[in-house]
Amino acid sequence: MALTTPAAQVGAIVPEQVRRQLTGRRSDTAGRIFQAVLIGAVAASVAVLGVLVYDMVQTGSGTLTGRLGDFLTGSLRSQPGESGLLQGLRGTFYIGVFTVVFAFPIGVGAAIYLEEYASKSRLSRFIDLNIRNLAGVPSVVYGILGLAIFVKALGSFTGPSSQGRSLISAGLTLAILVLPIVIITASEALRAVPGSLREAGYGVGATRWEVTRDHVLPYAAPGILTGTVLALARAMGEAAPLILVGAVTGFLSGGTELDPTTLGDRFTAMPIIITTWAGRPGPEWEQATAAAIVVLLVVVLLANAVAILLRNHYEKKRG
Amino acid sequence: MSRTRRRLRSAALLLPVVLVAAACVRDTETVVVSGSSTVEPISIAVAEGFADERDEVSISVDGPGTGDGFELFCDGLIDINDASSKIKPEQIEQCEDGGVDFIELQIANDGIAVLTNPENEAVDCLTLADLYALVGPESQGFTSWSDAEDLAAELGSGTELPEAPLDVTGPGEESGTFASFVELVIEEFNEDRSQEATTRPDYQASSDDNIILQGVGGSATSFGWVGFAFAAGAEGVKILEVDGGEGCVAPTPETIADGSYPISRPLFIYVNADAAAEEPVLEAFVDFYLHDAIDAVADVGYVPLSDEDLAATRERWASRTTGAA
Amino acid sequence: MSDLTTPAAYTLEDFRGSRKRMRTEHLVRAVLFLAALLSIVISVLIVASLVGEAWTFVSQVEAASLWSDGWFPRRGIYDIKTLLTGTLIVTVIAMAVAMPLGLGAAIYLSEYAPAGVRKLLKPVLEILAGIPSVVLGFFALTFLSPVIVQRLSSEATQFNIAAAGIGVGILTIPLVASISEDAMRSVPAALREASYGLGARKITTTIRVVIPAAVSGLVAAFIVAVSRAIGETMVVFIAAGATGGSLFSTDPFKPGQTMTAAIASQAAGTDQVRGAGLTFQSLFFVALLLFAITLVLNVLAGRFVQRVRQAY
Repeated sequence: MALTTPAAQVGAIVPEQVRRQLTGRRSDTAGRIFQAVLIGAVAASVAVLGVLVYDMVQTGSGTLTGRLGDFLTGSLRSQPGESGLLQGLRGTFYIGVFTVVFAFPIGVGAAIYLEEYASKSRLSRFIDLNIRNLAGVPSVVYGILGLAIFVKALGSFTGPSSQGRSLISAGLTLAILVLPIVIITASEALRAVPGSLREAGYGVGATRWEVTRDHVLPYAAPGILTGTVLALARAMGEAAPLILVGAVTGFLSGGTELDPTTLGDRFTAMPIIITTWAGRPGPEWEQATAAAIVVLLVVVLLANAVAILLRNHYEKKRG
Repeated sequence: MSRTRRRLRSAALLLPVVLVAAACVRDTETVVVSGSSTVEPISIAVAEGFADERDEVSISVDGPGTGDGFELFCDGLIDINDASSKIKPEQIEQCEDGGVDFIELQIANDGIAVLTNPENEAVDCLTLADLYALVGPESQGFTSWSDAEDLAAELGSGTELPEAPLDVTGPGEESGTFASFVELVIEEFNEDRSQEATTRPDYQASSDDNIILQGVGGSATSFGWVGFAFAAGAEGVKILEVDGGEGCVAPTPETIADGSYPISRPLFIYVNADAAAEEPVLEAFVDFYLHDAIDAVADVGYVPLSDEDLAATRERWASRTTGAA
Repeated sequence: MSDLTTPAAYTLEDFRGSRKRMRTEHLVRAVLFLAALLSIVISVLIVASLVGEAWTFVSQVEAASLWSDGWFPRRGIYDIKTLLTGTLIVTVIAMAVAMPLGLGAAIYLSEYAPAGVRKLLKPVLEILAGIPSVVLGFFALTFLSPVIVQRLSSEATQFNIAAAGIGVGILTIPLVASISEDAMRSVPAALREASYGLGARKITTTIRVVIPAAVSGLVAAFIVAVSRAIGETMVVFIAAGATGGSLFSTDPFKPGQTMTAAIASQAAGTDQVRGAGLTFQSLFFVALLLFAITLVLNVLAGRFVQRVRQAY
């Protein structure tokens, strides 16, 4: 030991200093203020959500309690007191279907390739980087892509009766928009699968696909599902790309049936209805808009909540 | 792999194909209306009535503006173009290039209301020269009402304009209200002064009439113009009288219908003649528009046609007279 | 079949498994590769669909009209600085809202919140992240504008840039919070322990140890949020007015336009975007500009995130 300080000295001074250090500053004012500020920040963020939801429910309550049935099953009208959301709900439903049918298999497939198959080559790194950047491209730019490709170039295919301004164009555009989100969340879910699971599979002679299909995918399924539901919610809430691909903003009759042969016709969707109504004057339209927002929020936030709960449930189970 | 699983898998693979292919097998009865946002409420009211009677028909009505509407119309992309100003020679040419014959039908009258804020007591009536001086092509950079006084005086107006900030809000160039304003006000003066037939570029422009009303209500010394129907029911704006050379006239349904209010205009629908001949549903829709539903004009706040004018319109449709009148 | 009693008779074939399985394996691999490759195709399509029309615009437009009084594309006046300024003002206001709130929430969740509180608050923030932007646009127009902005300035019109900026800010709070929190939580506990061991208080540990250690991640959060704010369309479209065109203005209490809103405005209602001269092309030019700006920001943010990963 290299301690050279005489024990007597240590005994005299140090304990006093240490005691002061340990017991002093009991009232840590700066720390408390800091913590209060932080809690304030959290409270403000949560309060915004609260105020928003309260404001919408409050404003829309007249419509929601007075004529909810009509409101959900009626069509667009020129009078706020008669207008309904059915055409918008149908459009948003089909956009969800397109997302699930196109973005889900392709996205999960791409994630499987990147996580399970690809060696860490330059190509796969580039694909990975590219997907991350695609996730950050503004939605309105995807709208331009949809306009150029699905409406203009493929119009006779995506909507012969609507010059391409159809649900097919909208659905495909939004499927492309959420594809990066599906790939990223699915990749994360696959990465969380323990390597030992794969080793065990290879050990008994299974091929890579057999291991992936029978062991990795079932294990990663909850995570993948969560990502898909989040992507679905995102797609159903997007408006900007729909404006570009030509959703109807004025009046539309028909467009209420679920019959898939009407997918090439002109369409509208919930976020578009909200945008259009938001621009109309007077308290009645404001009420109708708020009520439409409550309906959209119920759909979108429910999807979000389900996804979050699902994830938390499985996170807990696996520790 | 079990049989059900295999079936499920092939179903999953087929679904995307089915979704996209589905659209190609169908040709519904559709009527597509676009064009002026001023005429849009009339067409929507008519379309509603028509859709209530025939629920198998799909009708869409949009209101991007008369000019944008003609672009679509002359390419044959829409059946009817709502127009708040008469078709222009270059638009006629465009329709000829696109091979589209049209039937021009006047359906209503509208006045353009010139607005300011109710707090602006210094101004009650403006001459056409004042209007040109305030927002014409030579007014670029005028930030105060009084900046326009010399120019207005030069054009023969004696109105005293206040020394107050000039905040201008109006429709954008795509709008029929813009085109009518230029036609009815600016074109009175611009050629003699070798100026372009347009307004100053430096003002807040919106295709949404409500945003214009907001803009006018938002400043105490604002200036703006919108269709009479929008201004008549609006709160927070003051409608100015206009002097077209025969004294100050306030816009009312009467002064607009008889043309004594200087900035009034007819509203039209332009029907694709070939489409009307080929598609019974379009023909039925226009019939409905001109007979059963013509009251919609008054319902949504415009000035109905006189009996003679309405008879003339119906006759034009009955004989399918193409071209501009 | 090889004779099991003579191991020497095994050939390579025996270890390859059945042909059918191998065929499936190769087929699946090829299909999955195509799925992954599709993302590259999408990127190429985005650039391809933008560049052609944007080039038409750049090569035909009069240079003078790119620097004039305002953005009136239908009249051949394409003052880019009007859109850039509008975008900048919205972004600055959005960051002034989102950075303090998001960062504060992140520090609280990462360093202070008890596990139970954290478990409760995180989903709430995630739900905030799930709110569609049209909803915030309407909220900005009908609530933020009259209740907050018009009280700050009596000059403020109902449609104004400030309300749109606050709305965009609210939209980016969860993004800032989540990326910052990830960065701070990835700071090794050992650093905190060492700080406490030296007698530092929690506030000192947080500000002097954790935040500096996580700074790359916080910078990344800032950049991603800026990129998101620049790319946000609907809030500005609904709440900022000026849909027909806008004068050059730096006043946040007046209507205005951003790059995104300018694109949507021209497309809105027009169902097919049309107009005189280069109106249609100008839209692609603005979109390309927007794409380039957000791409640079995203790549930059990726670099910073990488730095956090490498450090710990």
